Amino acid sequence: MTSRVYVESSIRQHPRTRQLLQRLNKLPVIEIEHYGEVFNPRSQNFRLQKKNPAIIIAHKNKGHMLAAPEGYGLGGDHNYYFSHMLNCLYDCRYCFLQGMYQSAHQLLFVNFEDFGDEMRRVAASHPQQPVWFYSGYDCDSLANDPMTRFTEFFIPLVASIDNAWMELRTKSTQVRGMLKLKPQDRVVTAFSFSDPVSHAQLENGVPSIAKRIDAMRRLMEAGWKVGLRLDPIVYHVNYQVEFKALLEQIFAELDATAMHSVSLGSFRLTRDHFRKVSRLYPDEPLFAQPMELDNGIVSYPVEREREMIEFCETAVLQHVPRHCYHPCNWHG
Amino acid sequence: MLIWVSALHCEAKPIIDFYRLKKSHDDTAFDHYRGNGMACIISGTGKIASSAACAWIAARYGDEASIAWINLGIAGAAQHDIGSIFSLHQVIDADDGHRYYPAPASAVELDGSACMTLSLPSDDYSEEYLFDMEASGFMYATLRFSSAELVKSLKIVSDNQREKIGRDRQRVSDLVHQHIDSIERQASSLMALNDEVAARSPGLEYWQQLTSMAHFSQTQQNRLRVLWRYLMNRDFDAVTLMQQFEEHSPRAIIKHLEQLSYRDSEGLRP
Repeated sequence: MTSRVYVESSIRQHPRTRQLLQRLNKLPVIEIEHYGEVFNPRSQNFRLQKKNPAIIIAHKNKGHMLAAPEGYGLGGDHNYYFSHMLNCLYDCRYCFLQGMYQSAHQLLFVNFEDFGDEMRRVAASHPQQPVWFYSGYDCDSLANDPMTRFTEFFIPLVASIDNAWMELRTKSTQVRGMLKLKPQDRVVTAFSFSDPVSHAQLENGVPSIAKRIDAMRRLMEAGWKVGLRLDPIVYHVNYQVEFKALLEQIFAELDATAMHSVSLGSFRLTRDHFRKVSRLYPDEPLFAQPMELDNGIVSYPVEREREMIEFCETAVLQHVPRHCYHPCNWHG
Repeated sequence: MLIWVSALHCEAKPIIDFYRLKKSHDDTAFDHYRGNGMACIISGTGKIASSAACAWIAARYGDEASIAWINLGIAGAAQHDIGSIFSLHQVIDADDGHRYYPAPASAVELDGSACMTLSLPSDDYSEEYLFDMEASGFMYATLRFSSAELVKSLKIVSDNQREKIGRDRQRVSDLVHQHIDSIERQASSLMALNDEVAARSPGLEYWQQLTSMAHFSQTQQNRLRVLWRYLMNRDFDAVTLMQQFEEHSPRAIIKHLEQLSYRDSEGLRP
């Protein structure tokens, strides 16, 4: 439950702020100078704060478009990511966002136009070549769409830049905003799934698998490109049976050949994030499983990971044509 | 552990009475009351006194797994009625401009307000803030020992532009007392959060016993702490676990605990 709203004084009168505050009119509003006053102090307990996070409305000054980490993306040469929000509505135990920031508050930047200017500049710096912009790295792209109207701004923007492609990564079912827009070929909405047991144990607040499949179906039927992200694959004693059941459930509803892309990756976190989240949740079985450090990344021991990926890959390729399958190779 | 911090005895008296706290005669630095998993300290007036009292009592209860704090006191306001109670959501130090934000962590919240902490008494009130003389010192000190979710400052208006009763001790106590039920609800929800944090710390008693069973290197101790914390949080019995070690070498102990953790975690059961 959202507890309160912090607003930077300088953007209190921004039209997007006013519209947000109108929507959040039941919550106490606290004016601040800069979001860092609330978001950055060290003496915050992420786990406690996550129970009743606040929304911080702020202005982003720089770093609107950032080069994507190596191995991120769908094979394009020019990959960037951007975050109009930091932190997520959901509370997935495996997510690096738990260890990313001091605060669990949701930070929303309202100066979309500055993101747009930077997107145009970046796209223009790679003329005639496709440039991918990924949203959903530091937040869920669609979970807050009814409030932020993110898609209403960014989808027409991408459509207006000839060489821009955008992936919206989400676990949300909030597709109503998109369904009001004209489908765009260069926008892919990628839905993440983990198997039913991992979903039940680790994805707090995330809509059910069935509801997300339904959201995908509605987008596909409306002519939108949709991707499937089977990431992270989490180890547990029944992961094979559960993973197969997940695929059966998805492809009973959706046409596999109409998928834009399917990717797969096992659970992994950087060493720092792993250390932070396992301290935050010392009682969490996921972090008590055997893990190994490889190249700064904590993940399953090589043999276990290989076995998991091989199994899941084989299962995926029984449903999906190979050309739209993209393994996530973080080992480099 | 919940610690109440008030500048004056008359502000704390309703709490001391309500929770039947007993005066400690062991200490002379500050008047200090305790009982029921709580302590209450009378800091004296001003932000430095408040900081000093918080630091002193935090050291006094340094063995506690986690400490929650409530600063309870009176404040001045331009328009609010005498007796209105607020939970501060922003504290501004008038001298250095530093701002502090107690973080909301429970659904049970009183009306919020910003508060400006002054070094000297003043009745030149502005509409935007409450005014007091301790909150910034309280925040400055307590945020070094606890997270912002475990720190609250509750202020009751004693003075406004129409009336001033802040110097009448009995009436100050009466103002606090009239809100004792909602103050108690704040305290209960804060203590529940604090218990949640404290429960995740491994029992120090057993930890010391465990680490004395073999000569662990620092790296081994770090690994041991992670495993021990997990198993204790999963309700394994410390004494039974320690009896299970067949070999008392650091490696063997860690390996044994690892096997238990791996087995326990493979189903992802909560």
